[in-house]
Amino acid sequence: MIPVLRREFLGILRSPRALAALLAAAVAFSLLVLVRWPAGGIVDLSGAGSRGAFLVFAAALLGGVLLLVPAFPASSIVRERNQGTLLLLFNSPIPPIGIYAGKFLGVLAFAGLVLCTTLPAAAAVYAMGGVDPWRQIGLLYAVILVMAILSIAIGLLVSTRATSPDAAVRVTYGMVFAVAFLTLCPHALTRGTTGLSATIADWLRRLSPLPVVMHLVGQGGAVGGGLLEKDSGVWQFLVCGLGLAAVLAVATILQLDHRLFDRSRDAGKITDDQSLWVRIVRRLVFLVDPQRRKAGIPFYLNPIMVKEFRTRRFGRFHWLLRLAAGCAVVSLLMTLAATNGTMDWGVETIGGLLVILQIALVVLLTPSLAAGLIASERERGGWSLLRSTTLPGWRIATGKLTSVAWTMLLVLAATLPGYLVMTTIKPTMWNQVMLALVSVLLAVAMTLALSAAIGAFHTRTAAATVTVYVVLMILYLGPLVVWAFRGDPFGEQVVRFALSITPLGAALSVIGMPGFTQYELIPIAWKIAGAICVASLIVYALQVWRLLRPE
Amino acid sequence: MNAPTDPVLDIRNLTKKFGEFTALDNLSLALRRGQILGFIGPNGAGKTTTIKILVGAMRPTSGTATIAGADCVRDAWRIKRLVGYMPDTFGAYDNMRVREYLDFFGAAFGIPRGARAKRIDEVLETTGSGWMQDRYVEALSHGMKQRIGVARTLLHDPEMLILDEPANGLDPQARIEMRDLLLKLAGMGKTLIVTSHILPELSRICDVVAIITQGKLRAFGTLDQIMRDLRQKRTFEIQLCGPAQVEGAAAAVREALHQDEREGVKAHATESLVRFDTARSDTELAAILAALVGLKIDVSQFREIPKDLEDAFLSVTRREAPAT
Repeated sequence: MIPVLRREFLGILRSPRALAALLAAAVAFSLLVLVRWPAGGIVDLSGAGSRGAFLVFAAALLGGVLLLVPAFPASSIVRERNQGTLLLLFNSPIPPIGIYAGKFLGVLAFAGLVLCTTLPAAAAVYAMGGVDPWRQIGLLYAVILVMAILSIAIGLLVSTRATSPDAAVRVTYGMVFAVAFLTLCPHALTRGTTGLSATIADWLRRLSPLPVVMHLVGQGGAVGGGLLEKDSGVWQFLVCGLGLAAVLAVATILQLDHRLFDRSRDAGKITDDQSLWVRIVRRLVFLVDPQRRKAGIPFYLNPIMVKEFRTRRFGRFHWLLRLAAGCAVVSLLMTLAATNGTMDWGVETIGGLLVILQIALVVLLTPSLAAGLIASERERGGWSLLRSTTLPGWRIATGKLTSVAWTMLLVLAATLPGYLVMTTIKPTMWNQVMLALVSVLLAVAMTLALSAAIGAFHTRTAAATVTVYVVLMILYLGPLVVWAFRGDPFGEQVVRFALSITPLGAALSVIGMPGFTQYELIPIAWKIAGAICVASLIVYALQVWRLLRPE
Repeated sequence: MNAPTDPVLDIRNLTKKFGEFTALDNLSLALRRGQILGFIGPNGAGKTTTIKILVGAMRPTSGTATIAGADCVRDAWRIKRLVGYMPDTFGAYDNMRVREYLDFFGAAFGIPRGARAKRIDEVLETTGSGWMQDRYVEALSHGMKQRIGVARTLLHDPEMLILDEPANGLDPQARIEMRDLLLKLAGMGKTLIVTSHILPELSRICDVVAIITQGKLRAFGTLDQIMRDLRQKRTFEIQLCGPAQVEGAAAAVREALHQDEREGVKAHATESLVRFDTARSDTELAAILAALVGLKIDVSQFREIPKDLEDAFLSVTRREAPAT
């Protein structure tokens, strides 16, 4: 175990990105406290200032762990398997539990190091007064540590199942964010009701660190319209989190053996060579059969775009149809919820949730598709082949962008039925819906351009994906955190500025989502999104040009 | 239009510097249509730099390189049509079948859909890969991938093929198949530049060989020419009927040779043979044989040891290696 632990921990520490993350954490947390430090020797006896500082500190700590930690365990096992070193580990005397423990503790040690860099800031918050060192700061660190443990356990499990590091990173971030945020949704929908579903939803909520952290900083019930309500559930979270992490650890250790390599090569079965009966059944089941022999790429389509669709596991048309159908069902269910069970939410709130659903899809899906557009080619040797073809650079660049743009437009189009139902219920909302949709489209363009531009500077897809996710999470969640703490500590001007950085605030504002209606964010939010989009596209184009020209 | 005897590849005084480091130093060579050039050298010798300049992926610091009259710097667009390049990494795409993979590269070269389908059939036939057209690219074995890599370079029917380590990592059977494939391509009139570390393979297929070390061309020509240039001395073996006469035979050979050649005479009692290097003519060697027979030494064979590419390569690299 010790050699694995040492290699894992030192391997992370040797990475320049990890060092940058540690430094960034130390600087950011120091600054957070400094801006809230009492000026001119005046001490706030009520403790409101220190509580405000503690609130910002806690939110940043949770956000930092959610963004930083999952990337390391996610690629840990799958990268070793692809490089062949995992087989060497299996042939060493270290048992699977030792390999797992080494990897787990290595990443945990790094997470601990990140938390240590925040201790001076925590001490400063305590020195400001009004915050209990054990019941608040101590428990906050315990909650964050358990969330880090859970993230590592999720990452390592995903890493044993994934086939590539970038896929593992995508799935891990998706699952960690699902645990942190989506686990709150069932409780929000069943709130006020009793029965089995309400009990299950309540226990599911215990897996999210969000209500616990909000309670510890004294904001339980103040944020999210009561979604993060009164009952803290700190101990339930600690028990549930550690319990789930233990279950995931056992599941991962059971998979850590030679079966990981016992996978035969795909024989490349093709439907065209099978019986008529099989062909008919497959056509009915799939609509677009992925195992059908494809016709050649027609002259009017960009070959790069077609290649991008075909090389994505979920880029094949049958998967896109399933994704679109899933989105349509979710949007209709949400609208149905508005008209039946939760009428008190109002059409505007449902509209706001639809906007959030769309933006969440954009932020989760776009980086996974766009961050590796160039990086994956460079990583796998495809770029030198593309350079040797007669395809001009602009066709390579646009083919890659359009492959993501079409996918995202299809996904967004699938959520439109929800809006249609809304405008049928309340026809006066037509203009609001139109403005919200323009904002969402701008969000797609901005996210796509930004992801492609950032990803183009990387040579590894996993690193590109992590960087893009971190940037986008800060960009989209940051303003919402600022909005959540509107009034104290953030003033009106700061909240307005933060919300105008992305089109999300503008969309929520025009659709009439409670809490956002007082902000006039159009056209400033559109202009900022347009400027970011254009600047990112220019950077992306320049980088593609630079990579294509002779060295 | 070039005359058939005109060089299809003409490299003149090609130099590439990265700051102070000279990766390629005044390289000049020419290659005629249909020839196979074995481009060999140790790691970091400048082979890949040369190849990258030829395919237009790198600019030389000075000098010129033309392929079928097209300049590798000024006519980079024409070069892409004239050259089929197979790098040492395959460049696989996930979830793509072989036929889709070739279709993509055919479309990237602007081949119309109808002609493309026909061309894919042809290159699959040429490389003997038709049976794997429905396989997923990432699921292919290394040997299969190399075949598909060659098929990919043939799609746009280039005049010249540049193959970087095509036999690397192949098993003996696949190596033989790859060798036959390269000979078949040369037979089709293609000009080939092949780099490889498996020198016996190269020596069997190459018309000309270029040996490069530390960015400099050390030897260029047919294998025979190179051997003549590199080694003035030839190696001979005298096989005796038994070990008892080995020392006597060795002494007789030493007596017949010049002073400077005597140290090179080695007696191998266990193998019952005497081996020596000499620059003497065939007539003088006949006299040595006659002397041995005159001494009643039972000689069963008196033979010259043929030199191969490996000897040439080692000879050049040892000569140019920095003193330690």
